[in-house]
Amino acid sequence: MIDEQIYRRFNHTVAACFVIYFLFPQEIFSLSRSWLIVLFWLIVITIEILRFQKRIEIIGLRDYEEKRVAGFVWFASGSCLLLGLYEMDLIPQSFVIGTIIMAAYTDPLIGESSKKWGEKIGIVSGLTCSFVIYQIIIGGYFYPLIGSVIAVAVEKPKIKWFDDDFAMQIFPILVMCILYSYGIGPDLINEGILIKEGI
Amino acid sequence: MKITKLYICILYLVTIICSLFFIIDEHYNIATLLILGNAIPGYPLAKSLLEKNEN
Repeated sequence: MIDEQIYRRFNHTVAACFVIYFLFPQEIFSLSRSWLIVLFWLIVITIEILRFQKRIEIIGLRDYEEKRVAGFVWFASGSCLLLGLYEMDLIPQSFVIGTIIMAAYTDPLIGESSKKWGEKIGIVSGLTCSFVIYQIIIGGYFYPLIGSVIAVAVEKPKIKWFDDDFAMQIFPILVMCILYSYGIGPDLINEGILIKEGI
Repeated sequence: MKITKLYICILYLVTIICSLFFIIDEHYNIATLLILGNAIPGYPLAKSLLEKNEN
């Protein structure tokens, strides 16, 4: 038997690899790479439909996910939305990379820390983790501070029809983008472009 | 169970390949985050899988 708890955490952290998208060439088989986002999302939705129809069994899901949209669908939807908005030039690249990696690591870390050492330590470790990731990717202190506080704040409420895997990506980036667009926040290093072109 | 183990192996492979691509493209900060972040749950998972195999 596989330790489902660790297995679930590992599945969550591997989602950080979504950022490999930025290394893809702009065109793949003369099609824009944006189509990959749509294709990937459709595959995820198909898997979820098959799961609901009980044609496939996915291990590592929580009991309450049996009759509602699973966490992996929420996470993939959030990431696909961010990548799509980036392709529309609506979000700086560094925000997208930082947010996807942050959401992939911070959520399981909060869960694990809260379980072992209590809720307060969970919040502190979540704040530290998200701040460090944002700082490494975006740089400076303003956006990492704002982003990490919002990410941890939206992780806590448990709403049936809205998952924290989605919220932890959408809300921090939304606020950071508003602050950046209206000139309230500082300018980004290289205008937020980390990866200029794919391999 | 075999499919799950195969899936886990693919996940390890994806992490390694992605990290390597970021190293090749000289984005060491992203590569380091991918390696460290996935090693934390990845190591105990691999350990538990190996222990079960030994039994």
